Amino acid sequence: MAPLLDIRDLRTEIRLRQGVVHAVDGVSFQVDPGETLGIVGESGCGKTMTALSIMNLLPGGGSIAGGSIQLNGQELSNLSDENMRKIRGNEIGMIFQDPLTSLNPTMTIGRQIAEVVSLHRDVSHEQAMDRAVEVLDLVGIPRVRERIKEYPHQFSGGMRQRVMIAMALACEPKLLIADEPTTALDVTIQKQILELIDDLRHRLGMAVILVTHDLGVIAGRADRVAVMYAGKIDEITDTDTLFTRPRHPYTEALFQALPDKAAEAGERLYSIPGLPPDLVNPPTGCRFAARCRYAVDKCRQEEPPLAGEVAGHEFRCFFPVGPTERNEAGRMASYNQSETDAPLAGPGIGDTLLELQHLVKDYPVTKGAVLQRRVGWLSAVADVNFTIRSGETFGLVGESGCGKSTIGKLVVGLEKPTSGSINFDGKDLSKSSHREYRRERRNIQLMFQDSYASLDPRMRAGTLLREPLVIQGIGTKQEQLTRVGEMLDKVGLPRTAADRYPHEFSGGQRQRLGFARALMLNPELIVADEPVSALDVSIQAQVLNMMKELQHDLGLTYLFISHDLGVVRYLSDKIGVMYLGKLVEVGPAEEVYLRPAHPYTRGLLDSAPVADPEAEKAKVSEGVTGELPSAIHPPSGCRFRTRCPLAQAICADVEPPMRRYPGEGHLAACHFPLQNPVGDVAASSATAV
Amino acid sequence: MIGYLIRRVIQAVIVTIIVTIITFVLLHAVPGGEVRAILGIRASHAEIVADSKLWGFDQPLYVQYGKWLWQLLHGNFGYDIKLASPVSTQLWQHLPRTLVLAVIGTGVGLLIGIPLGIFQAVRRYSALDHIVTGIGFVGYGSPTFFVGLLLVQWFAVDLHIFPAFAPQATSIGGILSDPVALVLPVATYAFVAFALWSRFMRSSVLDNIVQDYVRTARAKGASERRVLWGHIFRNSLITIVTLLGLQLPVVIGGAIFIEYVFNYPGMGLLFFQSALNTDIQMMLAITVLTTILTIVGNLLADIGYAMLDPRVRYS
Amino acid sequence: MGMTPHPETTVEPLAAPGTLVAPELTAGPGQAPSSEKPRSMFRRGWEVFAENKLALVGLGFVIFILLFSFVGPLIYKTQQVSVTLTNSDCTPSAAHLLGCDDLGYDVVGRLMVGGQSSLEVGLAAAFVACLFGSIYGAVSGFAGGVIDALLMRIVDAMLSIPFIFVLIILAVLIHPSRITMIAFIALIYWPGPARLVRGETLSLRTREYVAAVKVAGGRNSRAVLRHIMPNAIGTIIVQATFAVADSIILLSSLGFLGFGIQLPQTDWGSMLSSGLNYINLGYWWLIYPAGLLIIMTVVAFNFIGDALRDAFETRLQRR
Repeated sequence: MAPLLDIRDLRTEIRLRQGVVHAVDGVSFQVDPGETLGIVGESGCGKTMTALSIMNLLPGGGSIAGGSIQLNGQELSNLSDENMRKIRGNEIGMIFQDPLTSLNPTMTIGRQIAEVVSLHRDVSHEQAMDRAVEVLDLVGIPRVRERIKEYPHQFSGGMRQRVMIAMALACEPKLLIADEPTTALDVTIQKQILELIDDLRHRLGMAVILVTHDLGVIAGRADRVAVMYAGKIDEITDTDTLFTRPRHPYTEALFQALPDKAAEAGERLYSIPGLPPDLVNPPTGCRFAARCRYAVDKCRQEEPPLAGEVAGHEFRCFFPVGPTERNEAGRMASYNQSETDAPLAGPGIGDTLLELQHLVKDYPVTKGAVLQRRVGWLSAVADVNFTIRSGETFGLVGESGCGKSTIGKLVVGLEKPTSGSINFDGKDLSKSSHREYRRERRNIQLMFQDSYASLDPRMRAGTLLREPLVIQGIGTKQEQLTRVGEMLDKVGLPRTAADRYPHEFSGGQRQRLGFARALMLNPELIVADEPVSALDVSIQAQVLNMMKELQHDLGLTYLFISHDLGVVRYLSDKIGVMYLGKLVEVGPAEEVYLRPAHPYTRGLLDSAPVADPEAEKAKVSEGVTGELPSAIHPPSGCRFRTRCPLAQAICADVEPPMRRYPGEGHLAACHFPLQNPVGDVAASSATAV
Repeated sequence: MIGYLIRRVIQAVIVTIIVTIITFVLLHAVPGGEVRAILGIRASHAEIVADSKLWGFDQPLYVQYGKWLWQLLHGNFGYDIKLASPVSTQLWQHLPRTLVLAVIGTGVGLLIGIPLGIFQAVRRYSALDHIVTGIGFVGYGSPTFFVGLLLVQWFAVDLHIFPAFAPQATSIGGILSDPVALVLPVATYAFVAFALWSRFMRSSVLDNIVQDYVRTARAKGASERRVLWGHIFRNSLITIVTLLGLQLPVVIGGAIFIEYVFNYPGMGLLFFQSALNTDIQMMLAITVLTTILTIVGNLLADIGYAMLDPRVRYS
Repeated sequence: MGMTPHPETTVEPLAAPGTLVAPELTAGPGQAPSSEKPRSMFRRGWEVFAENKLALVGLGFVIFILLFSFVGPLIYKTQQVSVTLTNSDCTPSAAHLLGCDDLGYDVVGRLMVGGQSSLEVGLAAAFVACLFGSIYGAVSGFAGGVIDALLMRIVDAMLSIPFIFVLIILAVLIHPSRITMIAFIALIYWPGPARLVRGETLSLRTREYVAAVKVAGGRNSRAVLRHIMPNAIGTIIVQATFAVADSIILLSSLGFLGFGIQLPQTDWGSMLSSGLNYINLGYWWLIYPAGLLIIMTVVAFNFIGDALRDAFETRLQRR
């Protein structure tokens, strides 16, 4: 069967101030009709540029420097703009990462979809609108006739992405290019969108190119995968083979950096040292050689070609990993245990350190033209109870709007609770005076998500690190400087880093700085709010390893807040699951992960993509349907009932109490749990957890 | 949207009240100033005291303010002794003339500036872009009066193409029936306006060109032309609308120079003459009136913006 | 007239999300971020500034005018105090390089005096207006709530009043001299910077590095003084530069109408007021020199302001 899309030796350049970046440097692959090809890689590998090159949608300064792109035999790379326009939106459709900014804010969605129809079909305005209605219905927008007159800002994130998909499919293209289509969405919505794309693919007989950094997404949805690194394809094969028998050291390293796999095996994450190479002056030889643990001189001098021993599986390496009859130099894909320490046991887990009781936080919602009257309350945190023991890592997980970040802010003191208590080391924090409170700050510190925004760009790293000590009045200047040096050592940064400014560091290094700053006051508890969400997998692994090591060294306790279940599972001893302000389930990490009691937890686990094609295929449930309700008017009774497949009448009337389940301190609040509760209803205070 | 608009109206009212207070304070800043304004700088102390009683200037300030404000709301700006006519009569005579010239002038400036700005954005860094940018720089580096002066020098005196004075007729009809004499004053307004608006438009369009939704439009197969006029244009204009409101005091301020240079009998010239006469009452009246016009204008611009931007309209 | 929001001259198209911007070349977590000397904001800002040729031209011209106005009279000596009607409107000659004005003063000498006025008043008024306006705006932005709303309404009110009207009223009431001009202009101009700094404060307040201060147990005052203000300085400096340009225009406009600085001092605008009267007589030296100096000085400050704005923006684009 002739391929639908045939790309050969594509080279794309971007002209920047500092030079010409060779973003795509000799990429070749094919896409057959009806199949899904995944292009996966970390930031800067060139996957997005490849996708944009196909339809020549490159940003200012970008241009195709060479190679061929053929769609059904027609050469696209040298097409005139006029002819290219006939292809865009017509034969090839594309959807982008951020549906909010990707839609024109001042045009109704009906018109935006009708536009693509009018551009390519000779139809009247009414007919174009009819088609818009048809296709919006196809993607699952409810009450289409009404909503067609609305504007993008009136839709939720998931709905907006559906609109984008509708727009891309309106003319029934043969190929859909999806560039990180779900990265900006919640996990449960993500699953809905990916299902939708799959479904439409089958219905319309369309091929899909799925560009993403998330290996889990690839595992579940792609037929074949191309792994890109530094502008080149390092490995390309079908999905099953890639995940079970990878040949390229980079692919292998990526898998070993994934928290899901490591958590299962109880191993440490493998962190790939260093950073990707500079593409203005790409290195000679294999581009991964500088970071490859198997590299030898030949790798650094000569560039390996993309070749394979078996049809359909090609890789770019002289000394691939994995067993093979023909390659004597091949090594077993072994994770060299002796390279690193034995799996770290947590430090001894001690007594209760932090206790939240009946914690409530409401934000006033104001309206009104003159005087802002309070018309309601946004229930961000609603009666949450849990405890964290000294030395433990408590992972707080949930989707956007669940209140986990708010809890972080409450614990750290950036917000004051509406009611309820936060007890630290026996003391009720809300009862302390201002001065006491400021002193208590020493024991609870925060690590921010966006390291760039949390470091004052005008101050040097050293000054930023010293500041907590200066504020608390600890030590002389000399002592403070000494401590700064110590901290830098601990987080793996050179002492010279103290003289640098935040913008001179990479993302991962900035996270280390943020962590170092959190450690300066020698706290007992560190609240980490999405500390690795913005990082690539390999950098993420570095930071997670550092956190685990230092926890062991310094006897730290973590409240780890994240939406990423894999990361939370890897790091946590205990997991708490939140939904719309409520803690729906809490318990030992493995228990909650493998034997959840609450339907939402189950839904969350099902929706989260895992980097294992078998596991992905084994998922039968639909995940979580529907959209997140408003936090200003949360559903009565059980807040999850509007999206729960098991909901019944009682769920709307009575709020389910917390009950015990197998496993130490395993609690969940549900009338129709997935397991049988153990014993009686738990006491209303969480002291027994 | 209604909430937004109500809030804006109330803000405008508060601002107006503050303006009247400031004006009132200015009027009474100099001791006996309000009387001096009538009698002249050299009035004797006895005269001032006598007249203060007569005119009620010895009453408590807030009472005076209240009375003054009350009169103001009824359109009564007082009686101008020096001109021997009610202030309002003078105002309503001169204001329309100023407005006509200002509107035509600014309108021409917009008609030239906006398309030019779009063109500059689309063909950025081209020779024409740089030239227009250069002219623009000179444009808003030049004081309005100097632009007028130069135009008169070159086109009226040296080349004798246009008359040096604007139409002197008192009625709008009369003014409009002498278009040749309108050219230079309108050109002065327009030159300053175009320099500004072409720059703003260029900026606004460029801001929009790099937005994601433009890429989506291209991905749909839209031509550059369609992308520009069907998508970018409207979104760029929205930003401009609010700026229009902010420009009002500048335009009105500029009027005084243009009317002075071209001897055009508008409110600006009236203000100038009042200044020469030390007619503080008239000057303040004009100031209050133009300020209120500015506030109203700003409000209208905000309303326009609320109507144009769906994110405000349906929020 | 120029008292307007100053539009930008250049907008670089940003790279699309996902574009590769060359990351730093480091081998691992154990290596220094870069091998060059640490570059502070100022050094990088200066580099961007220096790249802008127009800005350098502008800066050069400003220095020239400063020298011309203040050092010039020491070299090119003329009498600038008493009127010499016998020399009235003399044409340019060896004795008087640009002729004389209607009161017999040497025009070049007048330009120097005018330059002194313009620069003194421009710089001082801009400084005072921006200083006061910045503090006002910072307080308003940080306080928030009703205080902010009230303070901003006052700003709105003052911004609605056409500057020139108030200036003339003040000039009529109080004898205009360099000092009083500085006071008047500062009095009218401060709301502009106030509004801008308030906006900047509002946006900086929510930055996470301000929250970090609180997390460490620090007080609000520390956050404002050590984190918000230094980061707002950029905006303030840019504002101040444009303020100088605007002040010069205001001063010369007032002078042109005859309400400006009184004799024997003068400013460029006042020099032009007689120019209008003699326009038919072709006394070009009464018109072009002064006018050109105004334009060139104002444009020079605009160039500098634009370049400064670009220089301060670059730090935001560096991710």
